[in-house]
Amino acid sequence: MRLENVWLRYHRRGPWVLQGIDVRIGPGEVAIVLGRNGVGKSTLLQVAAGVLRPGRGRVTDRPARVGWVPERFPADQPFTVTRYLTGMARVAGLGRAAADEAVTSWTDRLGLAAFRSVRLPELSKGTAQKVGLAQALLRPPGLLVLDEPWEGLDAATRELVPELIAEVLAVDGSVLVSDHRGETVRLPAARRWLVADGSLSEETSSTDETIAVVEVAVPAARVAGTVARLRAEGHQVLRVRSDASTAVSQALPVEPPRSAGAARPAEPPLGMAGELTAEQPEAADDAVESAAGETR
Amino acid sequence: MSALVRMRLAGFLRTGRALAPLLAGLITLGTLYGGGRAQPAEAYGVSAVVLFPVLAWQTKILLDVEPDVQRRLAQVTVGVARERSAGLLAAAVAALVTVAVALLFPWLVGGVSGPVDPGDRSIPVGLALGLWAHLLVVPAAVALGALASRASVGGAGYGVAVLALGGVGAVVFGLTGSVAPWLAPPIMAAARTTAGDAAALTLLGLSGWALAWSAAVVGGYLWRRRAQG
Repeated sequence: MRLENVWLRYHRRGPWVLQGIDVRIGPGEVAIVLGRNGVGKSTLLQVAAGVLRPGRGRVTDRPARVGWVPERFPADQPFTVTRYLTGMARVAGLGRAAADEAVTSWTDRLGLAAFRSVRLPELSKGTAQKVGLAQALLRPPGLLVLDEPWEGLDAATRELVPELIAEVLAVDGSVLVSDHRGETVRLPAARRWLVADGSLSEETSSTDETIAVVEVAVPAARVAGTVARLRAEGHQVLRVRSDASTAVSQALPVEPPRSAGAARPAEPPLGMAGELTAEQPEAADDAVESAAGETR
Repeated sequence: MSALVRMRLAGFLRTGRALAPLLAGLITLGTLYGGGRAQPAEAYGVSAVVLFPVLAWQTKILLDVEPDVQRRLAQVTVGVARERSAGLLAAAVAALVTVAVALLFPWLVGGVSGPVDPGDRSIPVGLALGLWAHLLVVPAAVALGALASRASVGGAGYGVAVLALGGVGAVVFGLTGSVAPWLAPPIMAAARTTAGDAAALTLLGLSGWALAWSAAVVGGYLWRRRAQG
């Protein structure tokens, strides 16, 4: 699929959100769309998926079957999980039996089995997001577009997303994914598209692609200053949580196996906890009061 | 596409928002037929006129029930043309159900009578003309409701304005001696025809007029959808 000189703005006299985007993604490729809030990542993904039509330029060779996972699943609908997914499967062209089979399979795989008869508005944000993921995969897509797919998902499903992406790639599908939480470190082979000022540039691989996630515990009163300092030093702060002791124990299973030398916090949590990534793990040492590093 | 039509109709019915236009229609028809008995063709002609804004409103509600993001998901799944068509088709099906209720209603409340004078139309002819008048209204009302939908105009206020202007305009521009009758669907002219001389050529002409008006308004709806993204 190729975006050829794509320009887009939301209103006739509004500013151009995308300006002359020219990019191609081939079968079996995955690209991560990166950029600050509001730069047009979701807009770019929606153009690629066919939701938005470019004001200028065109999208060519888009696969016939596209799966799109929006940033926020529209849960305000009067259907149960099963009825909604069955309806979407039928809309996607599956027969009754195939639709039932696909719904059963995906609800089982995404941990939605217990919610099959629950109405969509009653679902939690994360569970609704799983329904959004399921609807995009009911028929194997030639292009899978994931807009912040990790948002609100539990640990097990966060681990599952790269697996699902790999399955699409394995059958020569293409995948576009946006992320601002740093979860895309789980996709080491992905191309990295950076959106800024309406333009897109592709980040080339650095000589050292190793990224480490370091957990830091700081007194609550120092959180803002620490986060600001870390960001100023070029680190990416993934999240800040209030209770380090429980959060650490919850967060550990979602992380890949640690490399040798990884250390658990040596001191009890002091207040707030967060994670940061650093291109050069050792550079964060002076900011880490108790850290666990890992290589991905 | 039929799966998407069914899904949208199910969404419309399950939210309970279908009740509002249905109740409005029943109240309007109750008021219409509560004043006395009339012969079918004449009664149905007026019934079609009063149903026009009700059906347009019903269409707007049906299309607005679906969240914007869900509409985009449907578009990604079936493509732009089928997504648009499925919405219009679902609205037309819902409108036909309301029309069936409107055709049945006067018989239930004793609002119609058979021929009284020798020159009066028979009941079957009256029914046929009544059916024609209502079917004439369906595409026009669906088109107006679609044009007033959130996906077309954006804000709720604009949608209400489009509905109000369309409803009032259909009556005002449809009056005898109107300076620009073509601005409105021929629902007033159809009512006059069912009550008077219903020549075949007149029926054909009004049908073509209604379809052309509806096609133009649907064109406006599709253009607005395209502009909205």
